[in-house]
Amino acid sequence: MKERIKRETRNILNEGWDGVLGLMNRWGQIGPYLFRDPEELEDIEIEPRYNLAKTIQLMLNKRPDLRIAAVVRGCDVRALRELEEMGKIKTQGLRLIGITCSHEQAEICNCEKPIYDTLNCTGCWKCIEACKEQAIERVNVCPILLPSEYDVGLAKRKAIYIPYAQAVPLKAIRDSEHCLKLAGVMDCKGCETACMANAILHEDHEQIDEIEVGSVILSPGFEPFDPSKFDNYNYANHPNVITSMEFERILSASGPTEGHLVRMSDHKEPKKIAWFQCIGSRDLNRSGNAFCSSVCCMYAIKEAVIAKEHAGSDLDCAIFFMDMRTHGKDFERFYESARDQHGVRFIRSRVHTIDPSAEDDLTVHYITENGSFESENFDLIVLSVGLQTPPQVIELANKLGVELTDGNFCKTDSFEPVATSRKGIYVCGAFQSPKDIPQSVVDASAAASAAGKILSDVRNTLTKTPEVIPETDIVGQRPKIGVFVCKCGINIAGVVDVPAVTEYAASLPYVEYVTNNLYTCSQDTQDTMSKVIKEKELNRVVVAACTPKTHEALFQETLINAGLNKYLFEMCNIRNQDSWVHKNNPELATEKAKDLVRMSITKVALMEPLEEAELDVNQTAMVLGGGISGMASARSLSRQGYETHIIEKSSSLGGQALNLYHTFDGGDVQKKLSKLVDDIETDKKIHVHLNTTVTEVEGFVGNFKSTLSNNGSQEVLEHGIAVLATGGKPLKPDEYSYGKDSRILTSLELDKKFIENDSLIDSLNTAVFIQCVGSREPDRPYCSRVCCTHSIKNALELKKRNPDMSIFILYRDIRTYGEREYLYQKARKAGIVFIRFSLNNKPEVNLQGDQLRVKVRDHILHRPLEISADLVTLASAIVPNKDEKLANFFKLPTNDDGFFIEKHAKLGPSEFATDGVFLCGLAHYPKPIDESIAQGLAAASRAVTLLSRKNILMSGTVAMTNPSYCSSCGVCISVCPYSAPSFIPEDDRFFPGRAQINPVLCKGCGLCVASCRSGAIHLKGFDNDQIFAQIFSLNEAV
Amino acid sequence: MLAYIDKIREISRRLLQEGTVDMVMGFRKGTVPMMNEPCFVKTPEDVDTFVWDSNCGINLANYLTNRQEKIGIIAKGCDSRNIVTHIIENKIKRDQLVIIGVPCKGMIDRRKIQALFETEIENVIEADGNITIKGRGLEKTLNKKDVLQDNCALCIHRNPVIYDELAGDLVEEQKDVDRYEDIRKIESLSPEEKWRYFDDLLSSCIRCYACRNACPLCYCPTCFVDESRPQWVGKSIDSIDTRTFHFLRAYHCAGRCTDCGSCERACPMGIKVRLFTKKLEKDCLELFDWEAGMTLEKRPPLDTYRPDDPDDFIK
Amino acid sequence: MSHWEPKIVSFLCHWCSYGAADLAGVSRMEYPPNIRVIRIPCTGRMSPKFILAAFRQGADGVWVSG
Repeated sequence: MKERIKRETRNILNEGWDGVLGLMNRWGQIGPYLFRDPEELEDIEIEPRYNLAKTIQLMLNKRPDLRIAAVVRGCDVRALRELEEMGKIKTQGLRLIGITCSHEQAEICNCEKPIYDTLNCTGCWKCIEACKEQAIERVNVCPILLPSEYDVGLAKRKAIYIPYAQAVPLKAIRDSEHCLKLAGVMDCKGCETACMANAILHEDHEQIDEIEVGSVILSPGFEPFDPSKFDNYNYANHPNVITSMEFERILSASGPTEGHLVRMSDHKEPKKIAWFQCIGSRDLNRSGNAFCSSVCCMYAIKEAVIAKEHAGSDLDCAIFFMDMRTHGKDFERFYESARDQHGVRFIRSRVHTIDPSAEDDLTVHYITENGSFESENFDLIVLSVGLQTPPQVIELANKLGVELTDGNFCKTDSFEPVATSRKGIYVCGAFQSPKDIPQSVVDASAAASAAGKILSDVRNTLTKTPEVIPETDIVGQRPKIGVFVCKCGINIAGVVDVPAVTEYAASLPYVEYVTNNLYTCSQDTQDTMSKVIKEKELNRVVVAACTPKTHEALFQETLINAGLNKYLFEMCNIRNQDSWVHKNNPELATEKAKDLVRMSITKVALMEPLEEAELDVNQTAMVLGGGISGMASARSLSRQGYETHIIEKSSSLGGQALNLYHTFDGGDVQKKLSKLVDDIETDKKIHVHLNTTVTEVEGFVGNFKSTLSNNGSQEVLEHGIAVLATGGKPLKPDEYSYGKDSRILTSLELDKKFIENDSLIDSLNTAVFIQCVGSREPDRPYCSRVCCTHSIKNALELKKRNPDMSIFILYRDIRTYGEREYLYQKARKAGIVFIRFSLNNKPEVNLQGDQLRVKVRDHILHRPLEISADLVTLASAIVPNKDEKLANFFKLPTNDDGFFIEKHAKLGPSEFATDGVFLCGLAHYPKPIDESIAQGLAAASRAVTLLSRKNILMSGTVAMTNPSYCSSCGVCISVCPYSAPSFIPEDDRFFPGRAQINPVLCKGCGLCVASCRSGAIHLKGFDNDQIFAQIFSLNEAV
Repeated sequence: MLAYIDKIREISRRLLQEGTVDMVMGFRKGTVPMMNEPCFVKTPEDVDTFVWDSNCGINLANYLTNRQEKIGIIAKGCDSRNIVTHIIENKIKRDQLVIIGVPCKGMIDRRKIQALFETEIENVIEADGNITIKGRGLEKTLNKKDVLQDNCALCIHRNPVIYDELAGDLVEEQKDVDRYEDIRKIESLSPEEKWRYFDDLLSSCIRCYACRNACPLCYCPTCFVDESRPQWVGKSIDSIDTRTFHFLRAYHCAGRCTDCGSCERACPMGIKVRLFTKKLEKDCLELFDWEAGMTLEKRPPLDTYRPDDPDDFIK
Repeated sequence: MSHWEPKIVSFLCHWCSYGAADLAGVSRMEYPPNIRVIRIPCTGRMSPKFILAAFRQGADGVWVSG
C-alpha cells in the first residue's frame, strides 16, 4: 500500500499541486507533514496515529488558496464531511488519497472517547473496549491510536485510556488534544452509549481552582535523556538500539511483550545484549549533562540480571561502563552476584559508535582495559540514559523563583536538604538531584516533615468528624444473610449469567435477601443497600462483584451506615477473577460464580462482629543517638510540637560530624553543626540525656517504657515512638601500615587537621589518597558511599592551599554520584592524578627509613609506580555501631554487615517492621550529611503519622489465643515479625505462662495461627472454621 | 553396662541425698524381657531399682513435660536432644534439671528378636556386644548389631549433647552413616508407586495414638485429633483420616524430631512411622542445615521468622 | 466431558498473589476456569491442614501463592 501511496503522491506533485499532507517519520517521531518534494516520500508513514482532519482544517483556513492533497482514512473523511456540514471547512481545494484500514486496525481502533465524570466512573473500561457485539456497530468510529506514554511508545493507546493497570484512581482519562470530539473535529457520540454508568459529561472544560496553602512541595521528577541526537549511537535510525526505559517495558509482564524478551523490530529473541552506561550523564561534551545520574549503573545491572532470568543463562549480557557506581545499600553485593553468579560481563570501556551490521545486528568497537582493540556484534543495545530536569520544570522553577544548580536541579544546602531557596517551598525526589527510589522516598518524608514543621500550628484544623451510627447487637441471632450480585454494567453480566447466580444464592441456607444491581458500588445502590439491611434486619452481607482489594472498604462503610459491624461482610470476586478472565467461557464462568458465592455465604455465616482495639499514643518521642541525623530528627519532632528526648551515650552531641571539615557543597560542617547543637540545647521541648544508655525497653507502639541509665542512676522514660539514630564509626584500618607513622591518616583524621589548621598541612609536597580501605572487601562487601567524594574534596582543599602539590588518588571506581561528579571533574582539571587499582592488586605503603613510599601499578601505563609521599590518607570504611541488646529490645533485624534492616528497602527506608520504631543515619547505611539529615527528617515524618493522632483504631482482623489450649511452647512469640504475642506473666491469676496476643501490634497475618501446633490461636476474620467452611463448601467445584 | 548401672545409682543416690533433686527419672526392669519401664525414684534407698541395658529405648524427656519438681534424669543422646527441645519450648526449665548423661551404644529392637523365634522369650542376657536369648528349649546368641532399633543403627548422636553428670566415658560416634537411604528410595518412586507405598504402610493403623503418646514432642493440652471445632481430622480409621493424622503429626514434629524412635517402638502394629518424620528431618538438614535439639541457643527453623530468609525459590 | 480437567483450589495472599490475580483480570488475560480462589491474609496463615482438607474435598491440585 505504501508503494501505491507514493506513486499516487508523486503523480499529484507532478501535476502541480502545492503538496500532499501525510505522516512523516522524522527523528523517530511520526507527525503530519506536507510533502512538497517527491524525494522526501521515502519517509512517508501510513501508521494511523493522527487524525489529519484538524490539520487540514487549520491549513485550509489559513491558506484558502492552497491546493493540497491528503492521505486519509475513512474516519478522516467522515470527519471532514462533518466539518464541511458544519461549515467549518471548504474542500474544493482538497484532493483525497484514500487508504483502507486493515481489519486488525479497525479492531484496535474500536475506541470510544467520552469525557469523564470521575465521580461516577467505576473504572470498568467499557468505554475503551466495548464488548464485541457493540464493537461491530461502531467499528472504526475513532481512528485515534497513539503511542502509549506508559510503554514509552512501544505499545499504543486510545485517545481515552487508563494510563496503566495499577493507576490510582483507576479511572479513564481523555486525551483532549486527540479526542475527536474535544478537538472539535467531529461530534462523536458512540461513547455516550457505551458507558453504562453515565459517567460521560457532554460538556467539560478546564477549570482553574485556587487553593490557599502554607507550604509547597516540589516533586516534579525527571525526564529520561533523549539520545536521538547522538548520531553515533544510531538510536533514531536503528530499531535495535533502544533506551533503558524501553527495555524496562520489554521486561515487564504488563509491557508490550508481556515480559517476553524479544527485539521489537523482528520479535526475535536476542542472544547478545549490551548496555552502554552514561548516556547523557557525565558527558559535558555532547549532552551538556556533567553530573552523574546516580541510578543507571544499578538499573543496568538489574536489567541484565532480569533479562537473564527471563531468557535463560545462555543470554549474553555485557555492560560497558566507566566507573561502576553501586553505592547503595546492598548494591555492591548485587553487582558481585551479577558478575560472579549470573555471568554478566562488565567491560570498562566507553564505546564511541554503534555500527549497524548484517541482519539488523549491531557492531561495536572498543578498547579493553589492557589496551587491546576488540570488535563485537550484539543483537540489541540498550542505552542507559540519564536523568535530567525537563524544560517545563525549569520553567516552573523560574516562575516560583526557586534557584537551580548548574545541572538544573533544585538548589539545596547539605544542612537543609529539602529546602529550596524560597521559604516555604520544599523539594523531593529527582528534582533535588538524580536519585533512586529509596532516596526519593526518604526525601519525600523529609519534605513532608519540613512542611509539617511550619504548618504544625494549624494541624487538624480542617478535620471533619463523621456522624457515629450506633451498632446493632447481633450476638445470638441466627444468620440472616443479604447477597448483592453486581452486573458491573456488562463487565460481569456480559459473561456471567447474573440472574442465575442471584437465583442460586437465594436457594442457599441462611440467605434472607438477594438482589442484583447494575453497579453495586454506585452511590444510590449504597443507599438502597443500607435501607435493605435495616428493613430486612440482615446481619451478614455478601457482595459478589469486583475485588475486596479496591471495594471492601466502600461496602464496609455501607454496613457501618446501616448499623452493622463492618466485619459481618464478605466480598466475592466474580469480576476480576471470573468474568474478566473467562470471557470466552460464559457457562463455566457462571458455575464458578455460583461456587464462589456459595463459599462466601458459608464463610460469612461464621463471621462475628469484631472489635477494633484502640491505641492511645503517648505524645513523647525518644531519639536514640545525638549525631547529626538524630538531632535533625529531634529538632523536627519538637518543632512539630512533640516533647522529644535525645539519648546520647557519649558526653556531647554531634556524633561523627564533629570530625568533619566541609560538606561536598562547601559548607563548613563545624559552623553549621554548632548552630544545630545550639538549636537543640535551647529548644524547650528537647531534653538531652548525655552519657546515657537504654538498658531496658518495655511496651509497644504508642506506649513504650524505656529505662535510661546514666552513671548508675536509672530513670524510666515513657514514650510513644522511638527513632534509632545510633550511627556508625570509621573502621580502624589494619593495612597500609596504618598506625606505624604519623603521616598515615584516615580521612577523618585529615579532616581534623583541617579543622585545627594543623601546620603539617602546609608543609606537604606529595599526598596520596587510598580508597576503599575496608570497603568492597570480601569481609565487608559494601561501598561506604561517602569516601570518593570525601577524598576528592580533601585533595582539592590541599590543592587550594598549595597549588604546586602533587596529589594522587588511588581508587577502584570513582563514585561521585549526582552533582558530586563536578568535584571529580574539577580535581582532574586541577591536575590531581587518579590511578585505578583492583582488589587483587592493591597498593602498598612502605616505610623506608623516614620515607613513606606508596607502590601501585599504573592502570594506563601498565607499569609499577612508586610515589614518595608526605601524607597518605586512607579512606576507611564506615561500620555501624552494633548494639545487639538494643536491637533485641525492639526486635529489630540487622544485616550481615551490622546495619539495621529497614521495613522495606525501597518504600520504607526510614522505619522498621516493628511499629513505632524509626530509623535514620549511618545505622541504616553509610551516607553523607545531607542524606543523614534528610533521613532524620524522614524518620520524624514517619513518627508524626503516629504522634499526630492521639489514638488509633487498629484492625479487627487480628489473632487471639485460647489460653486453655496453649502449650506455652513459644512458637508464636518466636515467629511473629511484629512482637505481638507474649507470655501471660507468671504472677497472673489466670493462665500464667500461656501465650497472649496484643491486638494493637498484631497485623493479622496469621503466621502464629498456622504455626500453633496446639490450635490455640484464632485469626478473627480468617479463622480456621471460616476457611474450612470455604473449603468444605467447594462441593462439586472440586 | 554394669559399670553404667553402678554409676547411675551412685549419682542418683548422691543427688537425692544432697537434696539437689526431688526425684530421678530412670529405668527399672520390666515384667517381661526387653521391656524396661520408666521409673521415678524419690528416695536414696530406692536407687537400686535403676537398671541400664539395651532395653531402655523409651524417651524419658516425654515425662518431663510441665513438671515443677527438681529432677535428675538419665539421658541418652536422643533423650538429651529432646530435653534441649523441651527447654526451648518451655516445657521444663534448665535449672530444674540435673542431666545424667549416658553415652549410648544403641537399643535393641524386641520385635526383630521376637520375629526370629516361635517360642516365648523368657530371658535376655546381654554381654560383650552379644545378646543371648533364652526360652523354653531355646538358647541362642545374637550379635547386638544385627538387632538394633532401626534408628539406633543410623544414630550419629549417641553421646548426650547436654549433661551435668556422666555415667560413663563418651563413646565414639558412628561415622559415614547413610541416614536417608530409605527416604531417598521413597522420594524416587513415581506418584502411583508412592501412593501404593503409603497406602500399604498405613493400612494396619488402628488410630490408637500410641505413637503420639510416646513422643516427647506431643505435649499439647488438646491434640488436634481430639478437637471438634474445627474438626481438623475425622475420627474414623478411614484411610484418608488416618493419613491426615500421620501427615499432620509429622508436620508438627518438623524440625523438632530427634529420631529417637519412640513412636515406632510404641506402635503396636509395627508401622514404620519414622518414615514421615525422617523425610522432614532430611529436608531440615538439607534446607536449613539443622538438626533438632543440638543447641539451646536457636529455635528450630520453622519456629523462626527472619525478613532476610533466603527466598531463592521465588522467581 | 471428553477429557479430564483438573480441579484446582488456590490459596492466595491478599497482599500479593490475590492482587496479581485481580491484575490478570484488569489486563484481560485469560486462563481456564478450573480454579477456585480462597483469599488468605498472608501465606503465613497457610496451614498444611487446609491443603489436606482441599485434597480431601476432591481437589486435584492445591496452589498456595504469596
